[in-house]
Amino acid sequence: MFEFFRRNLTLLTSGVLLVVSLVLVSTNARTRRLDDPIAAALLEGMRPVQSGVTQAASSLTGIWRQYLALVGLQRENEVLRQRILELEREAVRIGEIEQTNRRLTALLGFRDTLQGPAIAAQVIGKDPLPLFRSFTINRGSADGVRKGMAVVSPHGVVGQILSASPHAARVLLLTDHNSGIDAVVQRSRARGIVEGALDDGCLMKYIRQGEDVQIGDRVVTSGLDGIFPKGIVIGRVRYLHPRSRGQLMSTDIEPAVPFDLVEDVLVVDASVRVRDGDS
Amino acid sequence: MRSAVLIALTTFVALLIQTTLVPLLPFGAAMPDLLLVVCVYLGLYFHSPAGALGAFAIGYVQDSFSGSLPGLNAFAMTVVFVAVYLASRRLWVTNTLSKILLVFVASLVKTFAVLALLGVFLSLDGIWRTAVKYVFIEAVLAAAIGPLMFALLARTQQEATEH
Repeated sequence: MFEFFRRNLTLLTSGVLLVVSLVLVSTNARTRRLDDPIAAALLEGMRPVQSGVTQAASSLTGIWRQYLALVGLQRENEVLRQRILELEREAVRIGEIEQTNRRLTALLGFRDTLQGPAIAAQVIGKDPLPLFRSFTINRGSADGVRKGMAVVSPHGVVGQILSASPHAARVLLLTDHNSGIDAVVQRSRARGIVEGALDDGCLMKYIRQGEDVQIGDRVVTSGLDGIFPKGIVIGRVRYLHPRSRGQLMSTDIEPAVPFDLVEDVLVVDASVRVRDGDS
Repeated sequence: MRSAVLIALTTFVALLIQTTLVPLLPFGAAMPDLLLVVCVYLGLYFHSPAGALGAFAIGYVQDSFSGSLPGLNAFAMTVVFVAVYLASRRLWVTNTLSKILLVFVASLVKTFAVLALLGVFLSLDGIWRTAVKYVFIEAVLAAAIGPLMFALLARTQQEATEH
C-alpha cells in the first residue's frame, strides 16, 4: 500500500490539485466572485514592473516604426540621415505629445459631460489569454476604485472593475463573455441585456419579440443594473438574429469603443449622471 | 530549491512579457502562451509532486492576471502537466520536432480543458467562434517558441546547478 502511494505520489498530488481547482472554479462560478486576495497581492506586486515595461515598450515601438519609415531615405542620402533622424525623433516626440493632448482633451471633455466623481486612469496591461478580455489600470482602492464600478471612455462603455488592489485594478471588458449590462435601444427604448462575445463584439439578448429594433440603432446603458450610469453609449445594432427563441429576440452589437486603442479611461460609479443631450 | 527559484523567476518574466510585450506583436488576439511552455517543461523534467504544484501555481498566477474564473487555468495547467508527465514516461521526447509536437498538443489540451470547464460551470455562448479561430494559431505559436524556451530553461538550470 505504502509502495503504491510512493510510486504514484506525483499523480496523486496532481489529482488532489485538480480537485482543488475544480472546487475553486465551482465556488467562483456560483458566487461570481472573480477576485481573491492572493490575486490582488500578485497584481499589486507586478504593477510597477508592468507599468515600466509597458511604457518602455511603447517608446521603443514608436522609435522602431519611425526607423522603418526612414530606411529608404537612409539609403539615398547618408549625410542627411542623421539630420532627418533628429527631426523625426522630435516629430515623434511632438506627435506623441499631440496625441496625448488630444486623448486627454477628449477625456476631459467627456468628464465634463458627467455629473459626479470620476477617477482618470491609464491602461498598463492587457489580458494574457485570448478567450478573455480584461485590462489592468494604474488606479486602485487607494484612489477610490472599488469592485463593480463602471469604466468608461469618451467613446462609451469600456467595462467594469473586476478587482482592485491598492494601486491597480482589473477591468472586465464589455466584450468578455462574463460581462452583462442592462441596456436600451436609444431610439425605441427596447430593453435587453448586452453580453460580451469576444471578437464578435457583443450580443444584446432578451429583447421582447416585436420590439422596434433596427440595424444601426444606438444602444445605451439603461442605468438599471446599479453599475453603469444611464445613457452611456455601448454600440450600434449590427445584425438582427432571424431565429430568436420564443418570446425573445437577440441582436449583434458593434461596440463603440475601439478596445485595441484605449489608453485612458474614467472610473465612475452608478450615481454619476450624464448631462441631457450628451450621451 | 534553485530549480524552484528558477521556475518562479521564469514564470514572472514570462507573465510580464505576455501581458506587456506580446500584445504588441501582429498576431491579433492570438498570442503564444509562454506559461504553458514552462508548464510543459515541468511535466517533462520535474517528475515529482513539486512539479505538479508548480503547474498548478502557474495556472493560478495566469488566472490572477486574466478575466478568467480563479481556478480555471490552474485546472487546465495541472491537466497539461499530468498529460505531459504521462506522455514523457512512455515516449522519447528528446529532439526538437518531438518537443514542438508536444507543446502543440499541450496547447490544444489546455484550450479544451478550459472550454470544458467553462461549458460545465458557465456557458459557451459567444466564445465558440473565437476559440475555434485561435486554438490552432495559439498552439502553433506556442509550439514554435517551445524548443527555444526549453533550451533557455535547460541552460539556465544547468548554470544554476554548477555555480
